[in-house]
Amino acid sequence: MQADDADKLRLDFCGLPFNTPLVLLSGCVGFGEEYTRVTGFTHFDVGAVCLKGTTLEPRLGNPPHRVCETPAGMLNAIGLQNPGARYVVDEILPRLPFAETRFIANLSGSTVEEYAEVARIFDDSPIDAMEVNISCPNVKEGGVAFGNDPDMSARVTEACRKVTDKPLIVKLSPNQTDIAENARRCLEAGADAFAVINTLMGMAIDIESRAPVIGNNQGGLSGPAIKPVALLKVHQVYQVCRDHGVPIIGQGGVASPEDAIEFLIAGATAVGVGTGLFYDPLLCAKINAGIVDYLDRHGLATVGQITGSLVLNDEGGSCAGG
Amino acid sequence: MTAGLDRAHRETIFVEEAEVLSHHHLEGDQHILRVQAPETAHHAQPGQFAHIRCHPLLPMRRPLSIMRTDARKGWVEFLYKVVGEGTRLLARRVPGERINLMGPIGRPFTLLADRRQPLLVGGGVGIPPMVFLADAMRRAGGYAPFAVLGSEVPFPFRARPSAFQVPGMPEGVIGAMPLLEDWGVASRLASLQGYAGCFEGYVTGLARLWLEALPEHARAQVAVYACGPHPMLEAVALLAGEFGLPCQVSLEEFMACAVGGCAGCTVRVRTPDGPAMKRVCVDGPVFDAAAVFGTD
Ligand SMILES: Cc1cc2nc3c(=O)[nH]c(=O)nc-3n(C[C@H](O)[C@H](O)[C@H](O)COP(=O)(O)OP(=O)(O)OC[C@H]3O[C@@H](n4cnc5c(N)ncnc54)[C@H](O)[C@@H]3O)c2cc1C
Ligand SMILES: Cc1cc2nc3c(=O)[nH]c(=O)nc-3n(C[C@H](O)[C@H](O)[C@H](O)COP(=O)(O)O)c2cc1C
Ligand code: FES
Repeated sequence: MQADDADKLRLDFCGLPFNTPLVLLSGCVGFGEEYTRVTGFTHFDVGAVCLKGTTLEPRLGNPPHRVCETPAGMLNAIGLQNPGARYVVDEILPRLPFAETRFIANLSGSTVEEYAEVARIFDDSPIDAMEVNISCPNVKEGGVAFGNDPDMSARVTEACRKVTDKPLIVKLSPNQTDIAENARRCLEAGADAFAVINTLMGMAIDIESRAPVIGNNQGGLSGPAIKPVALLKVHQVYQVCRDHGVPIIGQGGVASPEDAIEFLIAGATAVGVGTGLFYDPLLCAKINAGIVDYLDRHGLATVGQITGSLVLNDEGGSCAGG
Repeated sequence: MTAGLDRAHRETIFVEEAEVLSHHHLEGDQHILRVQAPETAHHAQPGQFAHIRCHPLLPMRRPLSIMRTDARKGWVEFLYKVVGEGTRLLARRVPGERINLMGPIGRPFTLLADRRQPLLVGGGVGIPPMVFLADAMRRAGGYAPFAVLGSEVPFPFRARPSAFQVPGMPEGVIGAMPLLEDWGVASRLASLQGYAGCFEGYVTGLARLWLEALPEHARAQVAVYACGPHPMLEAVALLAGEFGLPCQVSLEEFMACAVGGCAGCTVRVRTPDGPAMKRVCVDGPVFDAAAVFGTD
């Protein structure tokens, strides 16, 4: 990338300098270094990397199969396999290349207290920011209840807020009735930013054995299949965030520059890439080039100028479908 | 800040737009695909695999073991069987087309300097890594591998009567893989289908006959390498354990990223610290059999 192109992509996210608007998504890139195995991949192409969901105690995760392809996407039920917050802070963070990009912890827990404890451990570490995964749908005793209920979501947010001054990103679940109301409550509870959206729950069945393909029976659906859902949710959450200057990491099915630009237009300040990396590990460089090209064609100076530039149709109503 | 960071893993996997050079379609819906992928060909080691975009219309990749490489000419060869959508679409690709692949990936087999008489056991589409391993041993020199290959569909090659005497082989078990013969590597075939020249039984039955026929000092030179269906690997691991031989197995699991990012491909293994979930893509696909099949 040329220097002036790089400048067009740079942005400030909750006070953190991002190389570009792209964020590598939690659970897709391990604990930060995995994709550097691929020649041509570089952390300089992304603004931040979200580490795998981390709990207080180590977790072995779910039995196989943990992933399978579905039309225009995939299901996963990893079960939050992770070595525990203490290990991540003591053994993994010291080896991460903070000179190359920003690193964000992804917090998970089964109780409000556990979330807060994990946040406390990361607060005393070089991590740049924390993303609270209140929507993890895979672990039976975790996730679901928190993310689907605005009260619980706000309580988790509040508990984490109390123990850290680092940027706190709340990752919202699409598996709920009113995502905007949830966002409003989390904002009041101290959220600095939102990640929208996490996976949608789904199932795939092997018709010969009549058993679900995924060992955990159900899994989180990601990839292009969820992109239209994600775009609408970003649009809805943006209505809540806009006046407060609270940024959104839009995500769900980004697999091309056009996808990323759609999220920016809908209101995202940064755009997450997860499943798209499995399709093409060199996707980020291509998205960056596509965004620069778009900026040039539209006479815009920086990527921030695309954010929230949605032009709604006059006749559009709220009654969907049919 | 960067001082002391271990960066050895970086830039070990290449993304290549590999031109299809040839594609042979064999009985049993088995296919041999040769593609031009110079980086993968140059860096690959036996046991490693490539993660292949089977068709532009199917975005998730499929892992296939590398069977042969020619580092000088820059090609890589795969042997695969059609089992579903991905492999079905792959089988349609024709010479001249380009296939996007990532490779080489994974922890390869380890050659053991004190084990000069390795036993290579390949079942079905577990044959490819054994072919690559035999090639590596022949190139390294000083090894006298013996390959036992099994299949329940016609073998993906025309068996040839072997030029090698192999201890313990029953009367009439003379069929061998021509490519290995040409390389000077002894092989024998096993199947329940009663194919001519093949041992009628399991690969482990034939391997056992060989191990029992070896003199003590020769048996002490054996290490076992295996790739194939899970039950076969379990039986091979048991056999190796019975004879007190080191054993490396190559495992399969569904994959998404194939670079260690998603933890989608894990298997449960034993470690000194207790049970752990290891990723087949980068912690494997080759594992120590005792860690996989031993009890916690
Ligand atoms: C390291 C490794 C090396 C392999 N080497 C070979 C080889 O050399 N030759 C060969 O024929 N096959 C090999 N396989 C198996 C091959 O990857 C599967 O047969 C293939 O992925 C099936 O895809 P499909 O879409 O045709 O089948 P489907 O059954 O339609 O696949 C559906 C989903 O299941 C996954 N899947 C199904 N079976 C397997 C399997 N056995 N392993 C991994 N994922 C699976 C697919 O990736 C896909 O996500 C290897 C697998 C691994 C993990
Ligand atoms: C294999 C896999 C594992 C994931 N693990 C986590 C996780 O641990 N924590 C989390 O907040 N989100 C997790 N996610 C969700 C992603 O971070 C992301 O929000 C979602 O996949 C949508 O984006 P995508 O379509 O670009 O993948 C995971 C997704 C995948 C595919
Ligand atoms: S396939 Fe993603 S970690 Fe192995």
